[in-house]
Parts: sequence; C-alpha cells; structure tokens
Amino acid sequence: MKTNYLFPNRFKIYGWIILIPSLIMGVLSLVFEIEPTALEFEMPALFVDEFMGKNKLAGTVTNNILNEIIGVLIILSSIFVAFSKEKEEDEYILKIRLESLVWAVYVNYGILLLALSFIYDFSFLYVKIFNMFTILIFFIIRFYWQLNKLKNES
Amino acid sequence: MKNTIKIERARHNLTQAQLAEKVKVSRQTINAMELGKYVPSTVLALRLACIFEIEVTELFSLESTDW
Repeated sequence: MKTNYLFPNRFKIYGWIILIPSLIMGVLSLVFEIEPTALEFEMPALFVDEFMGKNKLAGTVTNNILNEIIGVLIILSSIFVAFSKEKEEDEYILKIRLESLVWAVYVNYGILLLALSFIYDFSFLYVKIFNMFTILIFFIIRFYWQLNKLKNES
Repeated sequence: MKNTIKIERARHNLTQAQLAEKVKVSRQTINAMELGKYVPSTVLALRLACIFEIEVTELFSLESTDW
C-alpha cells in the first residue's frame, strides 16, 4: 500500500541505534544532574526570562545544551522508530498503526490529566519533561507489541 | 463479514504466503482475514476476487451483525 507519510524501512534501525543510548543518557543526566561545562554556551533565545530582571522577546541566554541535544535526539529517533515503514507495510499494518496512535494519545492524556490534578509545583516540571516524549514512547510500545502478537499468532 | 478465502485458497492450491505475494500483502494479513479479524479494503477484496477468478460477492458476504 502506498503511503507517503512514513519514512523508508531503513530509518527504523537508525532510529533504534540513536534512541536507546539517548534514552539512557537522558535518564542519567536527569537523575545525576549532569551538566558538563564544555557544553555551556551563549544561545540565541526567542524569549528571555531573566531571574529578577526584565523579560525580553529576543536575546541570548547562557545555557548548558546537553539536555537540548538529548531531547532533540530522543524526539527525532523515536519518530524514526515509530513512523518508518515495516518491511511489508500493508493495509492491516496501517490499521494497527492507527489504532496504536489513538491508544497512545488516550493513555498519554489520561496520565497527564491525573498528573495535572495530583502533582504540583516543581514535580510537575518533571511530568512535563517526560510528557514531551511519552506519546511517541507509548505508541512505539503498543505498536511493536501488537506487531509481535500478530507474528506469533500466525 | 464472512469470507471464503480459506476455501478458495485450498481450491487454488495456494499457501497463505503464496496468496499474500499475489495480492501484495503480508502473510499475517491473509491469516487475519481468514480468521475474520480483519475486513479488507475494497481494493484488496477486488484483488483477491481477481486472483480467485470469482466475483467479490462470492468471496465475501454480509452477516446480520454488519447491519
């Protein structure tokens, strides 16, 4: 079946190769608060919110870019893993793909609603950090679980 | 929706994999259709009928739960 919104099959392996180390690095950098000084840069920013200072619309901020790098890598690689064609991407696989996407959105927002209601202040920041990636991660888990079930059934 | 894919496949002496190759889907999709877990698109239904050289209505039929 012709689909022009999916990446070629080979992108999936590139995705996994980047995703797994990025996820490990992401968790480690969050837990141990790793901020190597070599990655501290003056970065252009669309909105500058200075502590005890004025807010500006555009400017620069000094920032450690490790978490930005990890974040970009996780998002891009999980998009590759999630949205690369299977070797035989037919209409049944597309149906499983759609169902998994809907399921991932429901689970993601279900958890977010609970977190929004019961988690406050600084802890909620962690919820938002994880929430940047969870919709894709939930999709990947559900989609590959369903594919695996399909392969084992027949 | 009921179908006679398995019967037609046996009549034409085809394995699931051979039929899958002819209609350009995966073997799992043929299996899912035979088990009634998946209702194919019109294009796939027409392709199957074309391979078996019968009418689509001979291959697929509605059940009361389809209404």
